[in-house]
Amino acid sequence: MKAVIAGIGATEFSKDSGRSEARLAADAALDALADAGIAPEEVDGMATFTMDPTSEIALARAIGAGALRFFTRVPYGGGAACGAVAQAAMAVSSGAADTVLVYRAFNERSGRRYGRAVAQDGGTPTTLALELGWHVPAGLATPASWAALPARRYMHEHGATGEDFGRVAVQMRANAATNPRAWFHGRPITLEEHQASRWVAEPLRLLDCCQESDGGVALVVVGAARARSLPRPPAVIEAAAQGSGAGQLTMVDFYRDDIAALPEMAAVAERLWADSGLGPWDMDAAVLYDHFTPYVLMQLEALGYCKRGQAPALVADGRIGPGGDLPVNPHGGQLGEAYIHGMNGIAEAVRQIRGTAANQVPGAAHVLVTAGTGVPTSGLVLGAYS
Amino acid sequence: MIEDLAEAARARGEVDGGTAPDPVNAPMVRHWLEAMGDPAAHYLDEGLAPPAMLQVWTMPGHGGGPRPSAVDTVLAGLDAHGFTGVVATDCTQAYDRPLRFGETPRAATAFTSLRGPKSTAMGRGYFLTWETTWYCGDERVGTMTFRVLKFDPATRPEPRPPEDGAQQPPPPPPPSTGDTAFFWDGAAAGELRIRRCADCGTLRHPPGPLCPACRSAAADHVVASGRGTVHSYTVHHHPPVPGRTAPFAVALVDLPEGVRVVGGVTGADPADVHVGMAVRADFARGGAEPPRWRPADQAVLPALELELTRTSITAQALATRDFTPVHHDPGRARAQGARDVFLNILTTQGLVQRYATTHRPGARVRRIAVRLGAPAHAGDTLVLTGTDRPREGRVEVRGTTALGRHVTATVDVVDVEDR
Repeated sequence: MKAVIAGIGATEFSKDSGRSEARLAADAALDALADAGIAPEEVDGMATFTMDPTSEIALARAIGAGALRFFTRVPYGGGAACGAVAQAAMAVSSGAADTVLVYRAFNERSGRRYGRAVAQDGGTPTTLALELGWHVPAGLATPASWAALPARRYMHEHGATGEDFGRVAVQMRANAATNPRAWFHGRPITLEEHQASRWVAEPLRLLDCCQESDGGVALVVVGAARARSLPRPPAVIEAAAQGSGAGQLTMVDFYRDDIAALPEMAAVAERLWADSGLGPWDMDAAVLYDHFTPYVLMQLEALGYCKRGQAPALVADGRIGPGGDLPVNPHGGQLGEAYIHGMNGIAEAVRQIRGTAANQVPGAAHVLVTAGTGVPTSGLVLGAYS
Repeated sequence: MIEDLAEAARARGEVDGGTAPDPVNAPMVRHWLEAMGDPAAHYLDEGLAPPAMLQVWTMPGHGGGPRPSAVDTVLAGLDAHGFTGVVATDCTQAYDRPLRFGETPRAATAFTSLRGPKSTAMGRGYFLTWETTWYCGDERVGTMTFRVLKFDPATRPEPRPPEDGAQQPPPPPPPSTGDTAFFWDGAAAGELRIRRCADCGTLRHPPGPLCPACRSAAADHVVASGRGTVHSYTVHHHPPVPGRTAPFAVALVDLPEGVRVVGGVTGADPADVHVGMAVRADFARGGAEPPRWRPADQAVLPALELELTRTSITAQALATRDFTPVHHDPGRARAQGARDVFLNILTTQGLVQRYATTHRPGARVRRIAVRLGAPAHAGDTLVLTGTDRPREGRVEVRGTTALGRHVTATVDVVDVEDR
């Protein structure tokens, strides 16, 4: 049985939510359940990120859900986003659960800011702490600095420039400017402003880096059999995949031959196209994880939209903008709308399928969504229910 | 008001400070070399003055009275406005040619600039810069740019944690397990160790518990040559990273042994780091972090430790004809808030030159630029370290005491055959 996303919900996106992360999760969850026309008591499964601070049972208590039959967490930061939906869909398809709430909520600006330098603590390290432990003591202590090494190598190998990165940011901010939900609503940027923004970790400037946000997003995943009884059109999960590359490390994946490419995303794409029977150019829009602009370019290449090194030209030709042959992040992405670890992008894809997005792609029937890059990742192909 | 004084001082142009009381001579050079502990006998053989003695010849001496200067009126004006504190911050001397025995140089000063008021760690104050030029006859032989901060001690701010990551507590030691401890032990011992499968010989980094090629758990390590090539890098600017002062570069380096290793970059302007740059490992940080990467053509100079005593400091002050009491009279030094007598700037310059030229015997010094930090007192150990950057014709010197950085200096040299 196929699974569908029956409801989407979110809090406002802000820099200071003024409430607890558990409250944000609960607010987003109730919003999604109301959108799906499903009572909280019906929730019997939960899926989220290993990084999420709110436990499944805490959220279940908060919203008055009943007993849970299924709960799971997906690791690797923002790489988890589509993976949590994939696992929810597997649970629904297998009968492990009927109604799975997928959620992610944090005070990532007013609380613990992911852009800051990580602090390594003592004790017996996990393997992930060991991975970071080769880098943090060398001075690579922030996500932007980890993304900078592949970005620099991409420039070296393909002749890409900072302006090529900047065009991605300019397009995302242009999209966000006409999306009332976006933090940067009404605030587009020019390429000159991008080029004048301060260095964060060369070759990345401030405007190459996504924002830090407070907020939460939740999704309700149910079986396709319930689709007809839902108050709003669902989005069918046509394909869902997770993937890691050979020899992969997370965010510090510097030891494979080619560090300026995303083999884990290519692996995810291969599965998505095979399972959906669709190809890259069958997508009416794509929601690509945009924590750092260079990774949008590398994703376009890994997903099969162009050859290695050709993504800058594809972007410069306006093909990812509205009216282009692959509109990317019509909501403005994480650079423009909010950084909710990729979950707000999945909600945007559902809105595109429903035809209710602020920057609607006319007649969108198939939308691709990707999760975090530079880490083991995941992806979705969502489609209209018919 | 102060700006008017500065403008008037600038308008005076060069003010003649008079000629040296004695011509350049062997006894003073010998005395100076002895006081600095500088073994460079070639100055006496060649009849040349050590370049760092430039200012010594025209110092007023004991009881000589102050010489006319373009700066006096501005300094007095700042004193009158409450900016009574003074600390020298920078001094750059450039030498057109060595002075020869028998020449009698003449000094002249020109006021250059007044900047302020600025909020500094010492209080609100003004930075004053002036330039002194030395002549033999009409020929210019050297110049000195000198900068001081005149501050109001009553406005000294409470220390606050700056945005500089280097001021934050350093990070804890790197995490390690039985699979990785060999690497950190190697870094502490000055070796770049790479895990090797004891069965099939495959190298791996970062190392895990098994050989990914043959699944063997048997492992030893090889010591890498330390040479490498930058595969990629970043220059970190923001946000602050504990233990670091931004901007700083970090490089991912391809080793000829076939693995990659990440480390900070040292000894290079971050703007000069590039993909393909030849580097070699530097273990100055011990096992607290992976080896840093240094441009391959640089040499780290052996450290020189100097035990500072009242005798040495006094002898050096007198050899540089500096009779300011804080450099020879402990009571007067304490009365001014110092712990004991402390090194004068002319001696710091002399020690920097001694250190740099010891490792470049016979090289001719063209320029010495010093940035001054904490004072170096009697009882302190002054540790001089440095880097030789032959491609740039430059030796970088740092001097530290238990109080912190005393001096950061660059010494520009030309090799003897280029004279």
